[in-house]
Amino acid sequence: MPADAPGREGPTPFARRILAAYIAVTALVLVLMMVLGVLMRLAQSEWLALDPALFYQSMTIHGVGMVGIAAVGGAAVMWYFLSHHVRLDARILLANLVLFLAGTVAILAAAFLGGFAGAWTFLFPLPASSGGAWESGAAATFLLGLLGIGVGFLLLFLDVARALIRDRGGLARALGWPQLFAGSIEPAPPPTVVASAMVTIVNIPALVAGAAIIVISLVNLIVPEFGVDALFAKNMTYFFGHTFVNATMYMTVIAVYEILPRHTGRPWKVNRVFLAAWTASTAMVLLVYPHHLMMDFVMPAWALAIGQVVSYLNGFPVLLVTGLGTLAIVHRSGIRWSATTTLMFIGMFGWMAGVIPAILDATIVVNRVMHNTMWVPGHFHFYMLLGLVPMLVAFMYHFTGLERGAPEGGAAPDRWAIGVFLFAGLGFVVTFLQSGRDGVPRRWAQHLPEWLLQDRIAAALSLLVLAAGAVMLLRVLRGALRGGAAWSAEA
Amino acid sequence: MPPAALPLRPAAQPAALLVPVVLFAAAALPPLAPLLQASLPLHVLVQFPLLVAAGFGAGRTAARRRGPCDVAEAIAALLLAIGCLAFWMLPRWLDAAVLDARVDALKAASLALLCGLPGGWCWGVLPAVARGVLWANGVSMAVVMGWLYLNAPERLCTTYLLDEQAVLGEGMLILGAGLALWGIVAALRGPQPGSS
Repeated sequence: MPADAPGREGPTPFARRILAAYIAVTALVLVLMMVLGVLMRLAQSEWLALDPALFYQSMTIHGVGMVGIAAVGGAAVMWYFLSHHVRLDARILLANLVLFLAGTVAILAAAFLGGFAGAWTFLFPLPASSGGAWESGAAATFLLGLLGIGVGFLLLFLDVARALIRDRGGLARALGWPQLFAGSIEPAPPPTVVASAMVTIVNIPALVAGAAIIVISLVNLIVPEFGVDALFAKNMTYFFGHTFVNATMYMTVIAVYEILPRHTGRPWKVNRVFLAAWTASTAMVLLVYPHHLMMDFVMPAWALAIGQVVSYLNGFPVLLVTGLGTLAIVHRSGIRWSATTTLMFIGMFGWMAGVIPAILDATIVVNRVMHNTMWVPGHFHFYMLLGLVPMLVAFMYHFTGLERGAPEGGAAPDRWAIGVFLFAGLGFVVTFLQSGRDGVPRRWAQHLPEWLLQDRIAAALSLLVLAAGAVMLLRVLRGALRGGAAWSAEA
Repeated sequence: MPPAALPLRPAAQPAALLVPVVLFAAAALPPLAPLLQASLPLHVLVQFPLLVAAGFGAGRTAARRRGPCDVAEAIAALLLAIGCLAFWMLPRWLDAAVLDARVDALKAASLALLCGLPGGWCWGVLPAVARGVLWANGVSMAVVMGWLYLNAPERLCTTYLLDEQAVLGEGMLILGAGLALWGIVAALRGPQPGSS
């Protein structure tokens, strides 16, 4: 057993300090990435003169930074709650954070010193074909940074797999398959174990595929004679990218399963429907990525059909059992509303509503018109900004004990910040969607005069979102940096 | 402190030694060896694994008889095994093994004794996460190697034709997919009775 093995009673003091570092890093990076997002919207609205090269570098960092930090925050949620059920290795938790920070330095250097601006998806052949915007060394630095971060997460999920296999008898048992398929009358695994098993099953193959395509891209950068089939590269990239991003939500939703019951006094019940939903989503998350390739007419029709059909079904099983489960345990529970529980509910709303634009975009005939418009950023900002981020912040409040002694509904700064965040955030994502509906292209540094009104509304709203987000996240950052004294005794 | 040697049933001792020896002889000697080496995919995807498996089996027997190594030794052994395998994957040495019997003998001996044997001896001692890393790296490198063989702008081995190179590339991709599937199924099933 590792020297600092936490046992099954939750994280040790050593692990708690690492988790506090995860939370501090997540809060800080979220604010910084929001600043970059605001700068881009200000530039598009012509309220800020931003060199287009810097715009695309910022877009690259905003994308990769948000994906990475959603994964770091989600991993903190999963690790913290899972450590109450299985024995995890805190040294690997630390190694992941160190690799993440080292990779982040490389990625920042690649973009802001080397000029790399090939978007976080690093799609072949863009890294190697910059048209003089950056050298191949910058692209290689970006890819190596990404590889380092991927290796860190691979270690983390391998350790989770090890712990689930050793302490729960395998990933099938952790998913509750004996109860689901074999009529076992043993108690079903807790929801945290089920969700962690699902995330582990989907993320390890995704990370391995990501590592392979990054190494292939690196070889191509160094020896361009080794060509890459662009369609093969895109399939590998999106199998990795989509799965990894999707899994951030499935890690973060563990906070709902663990924290809401503590506020309602009712346990989260795991039944066969719950288990079936998570098993279905395990398969579908691995199959859904072709919806990113619907504009690639050379993709086999059957693959695109899978992408469309599975996109319709993918989110619903877990979404429904979690949404209905949330309503069931809250209804007439006498819950005392707080910033944490309010944020959880906003997160559930953002998750549920945020998938609707994605489902529309996953329809082949719609996708061919809408995919390169602002509609798609509208979807993922809805899903991430109003879905994942509120759940993460709720977990952070819980972990750092920020709500201790707060009145019903939360402390005044939180109430204001949450209200502004919700309404400005809603306006912000709706503006994105409206721009998409009007055919405004995405990933353009400069916009036509006809698009400026929407851009300016979005820019103003993004400033409000940033202000509200900063109030909450900087409070979390202070709480995390204060360390153990501020942590809730229960947490 | 290294764990004590695992008991070996007396009846199992001859068979435990016999299987690796027979496997090695079959893979390294005529009539099978020339047939395997006549084709690049068979050379890399069949003869290599047979030789490594022979050494691996011998290593497992050695671990039972003499006791497994400790973790530091296991890491050194696995690095040796990976280095040995990587060396023989170089096209230059594949050619040499086909053209020179002495190099071929060296290849057979080293794949069995420097790759398979230390691997089998120390595999069970490696921490589970380290085994997972090796598995994950094996999957991703099989895919990368498959791509390299499929997309190389020219013939990499002078003793094999370009179309065999492409078949090897496809074989590597299938190997990667198979390894990935095996790992996922093993993780889903969890520890089986009697497995180490």
